[in-house]
Amino acid sequence: MNVMITGAAGGLGRALAIECGHRGFNLFLTDVNEAGLRCLQSGLEWQFSVTVTTKACDLTSAVSVDEMLKVIDNHNIRFDMLLNIAGLDFEGGFMGREREKVVKIVSLNDAATLRITHAILERRRTGKHFTIVFVSSLASMFPMPLKATYAASKRFLLDFATSLRQELKNQDADVLVLCPGGLVTTKEAMEGIAVQGFWGDATTNRLEVVARKTLDRALAGQGVYVPGSLNRTLAFLGRIIPRSWVAAVVYWRWNHVHSKRMKPSVD
Amino acid sequence: MKTIVITGATSGIGLETARILARQGYFIMGIGHSVENCKRAEESILSDNPNAKIAYFTADLMQQREVLQAATTITKYLDENCNGELYALINNAGCVRSWYITTEEGYEQQFALNYLAGFLLTYELLPSLLRANGRVMITGSESHKGIKVHWDDVMLRRGYNPLTAYKQSKLCNILFAKGLNDRYAQSGVHAYVVDPGLVNTDIGNKKTGGLVSCVWALRKRHGVSPSVPAETYAFLCGQEEAPKGLYYYLCKEKTYSKHVTGENTDRLFALSERLCGIHYDKENVS
Repeated sequence: MNVMITGAAGGLGRALAIECGHRGFNLFLTDVNEAGLRCLQSGLEWQFSVTVTTKACDLTSAVSVDEMLKVIDNHNIRFDMLLNIAGLDFEGGFMGREREKVVKIVSLNDAATLRITHAILERRRTGKHFTIVFVSSLASMFPMPLKATYAASKRFLLDFATSLRQELKNQDADVLVLCPGGLVTTKEAMEGIAVQGFWGDATTNRLEVVARKTLDRALAGQGVYVPGSLNRTLAFLGRIIPRSWVAAVVYWRWNHVHSKRMKPSVD
Repeated sequence: MKTIVITGATSGIGLETARILARQGYFIMGIGHSVENCKRAEESILSDNPNAKIAYFTADLMQQREVLQAATTITKYLDENCNGELYALINNAGCVRSWYITTEEGYEQQFALNYLAGFLLTYELLPSLLRANGRVMITGSESHKGIKVHWDDVMLRRGYNPLTAYKQSKLCNILFAKGLNDRYAQSGVHAYVVDPGLVNTDIGNKKTGGLVSCVWALRKRHGVSPSVPAETYAFLCGQEEAPKGLYYYLCKEKTYSKHVTGENTDRLFALSERLCGIHYDKENVS
């Protein structure tokens, strides 16, 4: 099986690459971090003896994506699975962030994901089943003051994935959308979870478990995966409680968290 | 002057070992993972002993590319200043992680830093160690006795437990030391593992969270000063003739796990060589 993973050099992308390597899948990995890709390529090849191809790419640049697609076409690589992991967040109030940083969230999380999904669907292996995974977030389930752009960009992915799943139903393709809570992926993520106290710990999912179950569910043809029973309960409450109430509670909570921590983070 | 390289030399056991060995007249090359920590450690040692001969290098040994960079820098320094000879390498750097987190290569961080970094660094510095009939020392733990190596899932991806990962990394260290002795003792290089006992350091509070950090904060209060295990390192360095034991606690030999066997040693060497893309070969490195 040939699998493409975006945002592969760190966090969830790397965890999924490891899980795919363990299952013997051949990998095409991309990320802006070229050195990180090279290290991961060596590690995966040494650990699992799978074929790993890497190409550094800025998915927000159409030119950079075209260069990557040229490499794919030159090697005539065709895919069975696409894992859209690349994503970005700059926390804080909407007006407290630079304009271009706010726009970059949507550029990468949404526009770039659409660009790569369209390109790789055109390069799926003929006559074979195809699977796509989108990484949304538990944040997509609620209005999220102080994470407004990020949460809205993830809501876009949730709705888009649900619709695309329907469109591709008769074309032998499945779409899974993953909506995780916190994931311990970086030092910043660890600190972010720590300052949230009980709720940070309670809504945090184990990275390796999420990676494994995401692949299990995607290959089983499921549509939505919210890891953790508490997170599923919160997602359910988000649907039945008036959205203005949810926004007020979330604002209170994140305001409290931000008073402890005002650093940018990338996932 | 005999030269000693110490990893994780900016705090805890590593810093105290560097301090004691510098006082005894060795030239100390310390490795720490941040410039600030290295500077602070150097100042601390020099404030005690203004004549200490020390040099610090910065490297995040969790990442293999930084191990290789550090080894290249140290080898160049040894070649230019110490006749290419390294008297001792102390693989002390270690960590505890509450969660499964990986390095750039996709290796679990406790396995990568506590064990594999030392395996790779020793390989890279072996020519210098062989020239000096040197000694390799590794910080171990009595907790290695309560576990086997999880050969089918050595990174514990299928069921991560922080304590299991820590214990296993320490068992790997003693298997590695035995493997080095099996391969290089006749060429003059000897390896040892030091059991530090329970020591009052911050290892369980760095980049950990929740339960792990909380338990360690309580437990370390009962620990001894880092200078206690540092004395064992000084003892092993100070013996004119290389001691014959493998596992030491309070300057005395101690029994180790029954799982430290030749078969497990060879299996771990083969796995580790694959994970580092190297091959320990006496002909190649001497």
